[in-house]
Amino acid sequence: MHLAVQLTLASLSQQVLVGLAETTTLFIVSSGLSLVLGVLRIPNISHGALYMLGAFLAYSITRMLGGTAAGFFASLLLAPLAVAFISLVVERFLLSRLYERDHLMLLLFTFALALVFNDVVNIVWGAGYRSMQLPSMFQGSFSFSGLFLPRYSLFLLCVGPLVAIGLWFLINRTKIGKISRAAAVHREMVGAVGINVSWVFAAVFMIGCFLAGLGGSLVAPTQSITQGMDASIIIEAFLIVIMGGLGNVWGALLGSLIFGLTDSLGVLIWPQFSIVFPYAAVIVVLLLRPAGLLRSTW
Amino acid sequence: MSEASSSLAYRLRSLRRLETFACLAAVIVLLLLPFVLPDFYVYFAALVLVTGLFATSLNLVLGYGGMYQFHHAVFYGAGAYAFALMLTKAHAPLWLACLCAPLVSAVLGFLIGAICVRLSKLYFGMLQLSLGSLVWAIVYRWYSFTGGDNGINEIPLPNAISSTTGAYYLTAVVVVVCLFLMYRIVNSPFGKIFQAIRDNPQRSEAIGVNIRLHQLKGEVIAAFFAGIAGVLYVVVEGTVVPDMLFWTVSLEVMVMCLLGGWYTFLGPLLGAAVIVGLRTFTGAYTEHWSLILGIILMALILWLPEGVLGLIVKPANSKMELSAETGRK
Amino acid sequence: MRKLWALIVCLGIFFCMPFTACFASAAKPIRIGIVDTYSGPASYYSDDVRDAFLMIVDKINSSGGILGHKVQVLTRDDKFRVDLGLSEAKELIMREHVNILMGTINSAVSLAVSDLCKKEKVPFLVTFGKSAKITGADGNHYVFSVDENTAMIGKAAAIALAKKPYTRYWIAGDDYEYGHDLADSLWKNLKKRNPKAVLLGQSWWKLGEPDFTPYISAILAAKPDCLIVATGGPDCVSFLKATKASGLNHKLAVYMHTAAVSIKPLGMDGPQGVLSTDTYYTYFPETAANKKFVAEFEKRYHHEPNAGALAGYLAAVFIQKAYKKAGAINTEKFIDALQGTSVASPVGKVTMRAFDHEVVLPMFVGVTKKEPGFKYLVASDIVTIPGKQIMPSIAGIKAARAKH
Repeated sequence: MHLAVQLTLASLSQQVLVGLAETTTLFIVSSGLSLVLGVLRIPNISHGALYMLGAFLAYSITRMLGGTAAGFFASLLLAPLAVAFISLVVERFLLSRLYERDHLMLLLFTFALALVFNDVVNIVWGAGYRSMQLPSMFQGSFSFSGLFLPRYSLFLLCVGPLVAIGLWFLINRTKIGKISRAAAVHREMVGAVGINVSWVFAAVFMIGCFLAGLGGSLVAPTQSITQGMDASIIIEAFLIVIMGGLGNVWGALLGSLIFGLTDSLGVLIWPQFSIVFPYAAVIVVLLLRPAGLLRSTW
Repeated sequence: MSEASSSLAYRLRSLRRLETFACLAAVIVLLLLPFVLPDFYVYFAALVLVTGLFATSLNLVLGYGGMYQFHHAVFYGAGAYAFALMLTKAHAPLWLACLCAPLVSAVLGFLIGAICVRLSKLYFGMLQLSLGSLVWAIVYRWYSFTGGDNGINEIPLPNAISSTTGAYYLTAVVVVVCLFLMYRIVNSPFGKIFQAIRDNPQRSEAIGVNIRLHQLKGEVIAAFFAGIAGVLYVVVEGTVVPDMLFWTVSLEVMVMCLLGGWYTFLGPLLGAAVIVGLRTFTGAYTEHWSLILGIILMALILWLPEGVLGLIVKPANSKMELSAETGRK
Repeated sequence: MRKLWALIVCLGIFFCMPFTACFASAAKPIRIGIVDTYSGPASYYSDDVRDAFLMIVDKINSSGGILGHKVQVLTRDDKFRVDLGLSEAKELIMREHVNILMGTINSAVSLAVSDLCKKEKVPFLVTFGKSAKITGADGNHYVFSVDENTAMIGKAAAIALAKKPYTRYWIAGDDYEYGHDLADSLWKNLKKRNPKAVLLGQSWWKLGEPDFTPYISAILAAKPDCLIVATGGPDCVSFLKATKASGLNHKLAVYMHTAAVSIKPLGMDGPQGVLSTDTYYTYFPETAANKKFVAEFEKRYHHEPNAGALAGYLAAVFIQKAYKKAGAINTEKFIDALQGTSVASPVGKVTMRAFDHEVVLPMFVGVTKKEPGFKYLVASDIVTIPGKQIMPSIAGIKAARAKH
């Protein structure tokens, strides 16, 4: 092992900066997963497929709206909404019948959903890969005192906290958030006081999947949109959720930070084996705290 | 069927006799297959047997142990890689490689198990998934040793077992022996306790069963048999690739167990036959295999959660029998 | 119990169904099986391989076939998975009894199937697998390659880069066979031609890496003159995007194989000035053969052909020519005839080298640039490197095979 780049304060802070931008998408995707896991107790394997669906929809919507910057911003809202709608249909007609089942069944069922979504993408968009452009306002990068940051990364750095604040507001300040928190702890009790838990579940599932779609549409312009782009993000999201504590949205934030930063610093320290760093971090965390960093809702 | 429950013991005994008879018939059919089938179907049968062994080994912990074994493919792949690496890198004799590879899997099963059994259910599964993904990442990355994404080709195997028929016979014999051993394990005192843990962990603990120890033992045994399946895969296919350790493979095998019925012993084998068969023969007609698998899986979970064999062998009875027996001890 | 019987009968029917296929064939066409990736990003190229191949096959069949035999094509989707590809190859060979097998874009599948074909004695034409091992160290009597491999790309790139004044290099790429192989071959050849070249470091990302920014910032921190990007497929597009977004192409020189083709989906927004090596452009060479090929392909499939189409074309015409030369539908005669055969193609006359069964293909070197008349960036200042200059040395292959 040799150090590829000399570790200087500048290069370290540079990696931390871009690592933070990377963390944003991880956080958005994994917080959605965590929400669904915490309230509905569904280990949703199809979360990754919804992320992919979000990316493909963002591509199509942006194209439909003429590929302008406005079209891009519209797609950031419309694509996740479409994903949320699809998830609502799935939840109402399929998943809601299965809440009493074993987690293993739910896991396998969502795996089946992921398989179906993957093939639907294949049928609708074809097998090849798609690519969309960043709006010109996000092209290029800022540089200041030796550091550089792509403009889009800066945008992501702004979106991440916004989503986090929004989630905090939703969970702590709205009725649905309060009910779902209660339902996460004691499902029967919430039903007993006369609240229709079924629809709360549907709403939470929609919000979780909305976040998956949002993650997908945020990454759509920065990479090629392909079938199978869900395979690695879903595992990463699960690891983050486990590391943070099942169902804890703040745990997801903490987990994404650890995951994203170990990944980007790993690139600097030992590029050949950088993939191992985040996994190793997960294992270390779980060896020290088997139930995750923050309190799980389970 | 309800009137039969009064004479449960008698029913069980006649079932046993029927089973022995059916097993003998199955073995004879297996031995005769290569004489009547074209080459491709012999290969296909071998592949079904290998996958069936793999699925049955998963079912040991999943169905009988109630453990959330989310990443069983790691042990399958580890066995295959250990076998291939010993032959190509260490130039070990065949028998030694055959012997060591499942042991490597078992050791890996011990390591991963020791970390995971401290947790239960979903946490167990998720931690296993992450550890397994780490193993996959290392295999996939370590070019000089594992061959990276290309895997290992041109594995030197003697002609007697690398030919289609040779590979089939070796597979058939090993799989039958392994199935017999697993059947004995399931029905041993250990197996009974294992199932009692699945059905009622609190009560088992109350009567003094060390749950974690039993789960760890189960994990090692399952990993060992998965390792054997891995070795046989190399014999049948002549190659090893990191795909074998990818998490989707683990889920596919789980689907096989579910399809066949995970409260039954032979269910996973049946599930493997159906899934491998569908995958092989639908390829000629359609490219939408994952859609087909997805829909089958959904239909199964919605309408047939006990699996195909589970439909015939009522799971409620066997469960009753188990808890009654362990209760007496 | 009745349910059990119903189940057994159902299973019996299910497993016997495929047998009917065995007895169906009456007349004897030449059967060609293709195992390739038709789902997921790799299908961008493999679809074109198949489409161009079918286009030529249709022409052959409408003019009476080869030696009076019609050509029949069977395709299977391996989903970029080795286990699936291998069992599909077995199915095609053992059950469908194909005369020739073709495929795969995944080198790992190519290598595994090549091993199988050696055992089963079926000719195997690799259409898009780029590992140099296929016809190099792991080559055998039955395997042929109709596309460039990493050894050839590396040599071509080294020839192009050695003419430039760069000395401080950084290599980055996909952490899989293609990336590593290409990087090794390129660096070895470049060191020979330019002893002053130093390698500052390497970065390897996973296939389908979603975010290149951490890598780019780490690379920039080392201040190299030139970055060698050894990446393939959709990752090329992603990396070119990241190049543009971070302005990387203005800070240092960037080389990437197929950059000038992968840049197409980016439209006019692709990064300029990226050095690229390619085997096929629709706009170069400006010969009648190429223009005719492009026009025919576009008319039939409504999009421009890519490098995959060239491979599909070559496979079809090589098969036709070899059978005609052999004078019979016979595997050994076919292999003998194919060795050393030359055919005309959109990129000029192309020969199948007899020793290693690797096609002698010219390579084009260009720099990405906006040109009038195109809706996307194209290669400019194109230099053609003749195939002979970039072929891997026979002595090297002999040495590598002897190691086995």
